[in-house]
Amino acid sequence: MSSETPERTIEGFGTLGKAWLAILGVLVIAGFGAWVYQLMEGLVVTGMNNVFAWALYIMLFVFFVGLSAGGLIISSVPKFFHSDRYDSIAALGVLVSFACIVVAGLLVVPDIGRPERLYQFFTSPDFRSPMVWDFAIVIVYGVFTAGYLWLLTRRDLAARGSRLAFGVSDTEAGRERDKRLSFWAAAIAIPLAIALHSITGWIFALQIGRGDWFSPLVAPMFIMKALVSGLALMIVTAVLADRYTNFELPRERVPELGKILGVFVAVHIVYLLGAERLPHAWAANFEFWAITSGFLIGETAYFWLWTVVGGVLPLALLVVPSVRQRVGAVVAASVLAITGILFEGINLVFVGYDELYIDAAPGVTTGRGYVGTGSDIWTTVGAYTPTVVELLISIGLIALGALIVTVGLRFLPIQPGEMLTRTERETPSGDAAVANGGTDSKAD
Amino acid sequence: MTSYGMVIDMERCIGCQACSTACMEENNVGLDHIWNRVLTVGGDEIDTPAGEYPEDGSDGTGTMSLDYQPTACQHCDNAPCVKVCPVNATYTREDGIVEIDYEKCIGCRYCIAACPYNARVFNYDTPQQLPTEGHGNVPERPQGVVGKCTFCTHRVEEDIDPACVVACPADARIFGDLDDPKSTVSQYVDKYEPDQLLDELDVDPKTYYVRGEMTPGRPQVTNELEGTKKKYTSIPDGGDGA
Repeated sequence: MSSETPERTIEGFGTLGKAWLAILGVLVIAGFGAWVYQLMEGLVVTGMNNVFAWALYIMLFVFFVGLSAGGLIISSVPKFFHSDRYDSIAALGVLVSFACIVVAGLLVVPDIGRPERLYQFFTSPDFRSPMVWDFAIVIVYGVFTAGYLWLLTRRDLAARGSRLAFGVSDTEAGRERDKRLSFWAAAIAIPLAIALHSITGWIFALQIGRGDWFSPLVAPMFIMKALVSGLALMIVTAVLADRYTNFELPRERVPELGKILGVFVAVHIVYLLGAERLPHAWAANFEFWAITSGFLIGETAYFWLWTVVGGVLPLALLVVPSVRQRVGAVVAASVLAITGILFEGINLVFVGYDELYIDAAPGVTTGRGYVGTGSDIWTTVGAYTPTVVELLISIGLIALGALIVTVGLRFLPIQPGEMLTRTERETPSGDAAVANGGTDSKAD
Repeated sequence: MTSYGMVIDMERCIGCQACSTACMEENNVGLDHIWNRVLTVGGDEIDTPAGEYPEDGSDGTGTMSLDYQPTACQHCDNAPCVKVCPVNATYTREDGIVEIDYEKCIGCRYCIAACPYNARVFNYDTPQQLPTEGHGNVPERPQGVVGKCTFCTHRVEEDIDPACVVACPADARIFGDLDDPKSTVSQYVDKYEPDQLLDELDVDPKTYYVRGEMTPGRPQVTNELEGTKKKYTSIPDGGDGA
């Protein structure tokens, strides 16, 4: 079927677009420069030490692995259930997922003491190590999202005559075939995403040597954290793309996505976080109100960063249908939820390192700080403050992620305008069609 | 099979730090790091006791107590650091010693996260030594790798006890083969029922601590590994052994 060339999401970069690209470019270059400096000087230019041995890079790695969930979930789950309700943001979602997993993977590199030896992962892997599992799943997930993104956009790329179509042609039969393929891709995407987040959780949860990490709840909570932060990022990105590019986010999707986000936040903050806290609070306290306060507050004074900022406030914005109708409210709730998940991840690393099992004086040598006779190289607690180098490298990599999304919006047919009109002509299919996995049913 | 282990008699330990110093000298450990730490089990500071002074001389109200716990790599049988190492750089040798292959180590520091004893250190910077050219019988480790106690494998392979064992003036350290029921370590483990640090974590360390009853100790009259046939040997740096 002959079709019009789909409208480009970004026709070309105007002044604002160029300024945005310039800012991102400067941040990426600054980050790269900081990384080169760190390579020359070694990890001594970070704030880490022998006790607090993983810090900002790993905290953000965990955060970005989580963020990568949202786009893939929102594009694959409806496809798996043969709904095209979220087709309008499916490609954008996978693009954001891809950008996030690239950022996450790259965040590990500056954390490695001798990155030139990373090839050892291939030549001498130990399959008992959760890090080997995670290395494998991050690569598989990254390659998969790239392929999935291509699958979702290749017919539109072909319609545009783009070389990125790699010889695929835009035909009616081809589009039908891609639809079936995307069902199977979704069927792979869902377990893959669950594996990615669980394995990343198990990097921590398997460590009996760091008491507070060793919990069976960590992996399930990583999945919920990923759903909350990933969907929230998806909403923010879609609204921003709608505002600043030709991308069109159907208005009625916003409160719907907001409602799903509300459910995720409720399950995570109200239920899972509570389920994690109650045993500690109950066992450690005797009086009813002491148990209650231990349950509500937990063990850290910063609890409000994720329970209030990341939980109560977003829930308040999302739970009332009339408030949820406002795009601003849903975006605000999303930003708050992302902030909460970020601080929850930071806290996870802190609780693993702040206390030592054996903290008798003088403690552990920090591995840094010897400047002459009388230097104090000892510590009995874990403490950490990021350095400028760590911040520059991290911000540079995040800017790279934003750059990937921006360039993707410019050169990929993110808005499946054509497919949308075609599916709208289809009649709703019955259960039989759903069972054979062949046709999409109309959800709205 | 051989399974090297160590018994440390906390009743004999006098907290002199000689083992710690000997370890640094022998293993070329940088000045930012100490592999073998002698911890004070008592007050909040090193060499301070816990408890209270007696109210009136020796009226029996005093509760002072002070012990020392030399702490280095415990060489666990179920070593978490070995299991987490993604590239097999940390591995368990045939003789049970947990060792690091510095050629393979990528410096990811997962092993530091895994070790409940905080026995591992990381070369954040190029290690500095005094004298600057280094010392001891082991090459210095480059920047960007993890290091820890090796039970002095380079000495054990030459049938010589680890440096800390030889250096202990109180004969508080005994090194030997836990698989040999006749070795002094095995006999001490049987007789004194020493405990393992953090044994509730089930990592099964091969380092045992005697508390409560002082052992006879094992006077270090020679440089030889406990249980090996007496012979004249020289230590690797060319010094005169026997």
